[in-house]
Amino acid sequence: MPPNSLILFDLVERFGHEPLSAMKAIAERVTDLEIDSPPINVTSEDVKKGLKYAGIEVPSGIRGRLALWGPLIDEAEAAIVMEDAPYYFGCVGCHRTNEMVKYLLRKKGIPILEIPYPTNEEEAKLMVTKIKEFLEGLK
Amino acid sequence: MIVIAPSSEITPDQIVRFLHSLGKNITIKETCYGAMIEGRKEDVQVAVREVRKLDPNRIYSKLRGFPVGDQRRCRALHGSRPGFTQLEKEWEMLSLIEKGLRAAEKNEKVAEKKKKGKLSVDDFKRIVKEVIG
Repeated sequence: MPPNSLILFDLVERFGHEPLSAMKAIAERVTDLEIDSPPINVTSEDVKKGLKYAGIEVPSGIRGRLALWGPLIDEAEAAIVMEDAPYYFGCVGCHRTNEMVKYLLRKKGIPILEIPYPTNEEEAKLMVTKIKEFLEGLK
Repeated sequence: MIVIAPSSEITPDQIVRFLHSLGKNITIKETCYGAMIEGRKEDVQVAVREVRKLDPNRIYSKLRGFPVGDQRRCRALHGSRPGFTQLEKEWEMLSLIEKGLRAAEKNEKVAEKKKKGKLSVDDFKRIVKEVIG
């Protein structure tokens, strides 16, 4: 997380795992001929899917996003969460969705690596070595 | 989507020429940050694996939601590029990630910095007194 990060996608793939990304979920929607004018349309199926992960009182934006990220969480066997990233790093675009995703991941009980967003060389080294250790430990 | 780190000496043109030389049945598009490729999953995986070998720690890849040349995302056809700010940010960071990958390769031990704790109330009171008088 963020689920659309180039860096996280690449590192997960590089160290021998299959990354579950937002791009995969988006690709299914924007190329699906059954959706009238993708990606603008949200189908009634999406709304139902979103409700599985968040109650009706939760803002529709969060439910809409969870309709995409939720099935990825169901599929996930482990997660990497980047903390304190700038707002333009990962266009999930909604802090509350991020919180909800973190909650759902913890609830699922899968191994989670929480790493701070690197701002210098030392932090980047720490981030990559930690991700490597975490992913190799999952094998 | 193949992205070249800013510290790499490889150019998008070299990447595209190399991809063509692989002779795979894939669509290739040169971009300012690298290239985009599309085709059968197996062919794309082989192409990405091979292209990475050109500069392993400075060539990165990820999946792209929209197909290559999709009008909704093509700038020439006034498509929007909502993910561009993130791509730009991540591209800047790739030089740091490259150093991280080198450290991981060498199994370098990187010391974790201790998180800064919160200032105690007594210390804060003392500082306030010192500043205000």
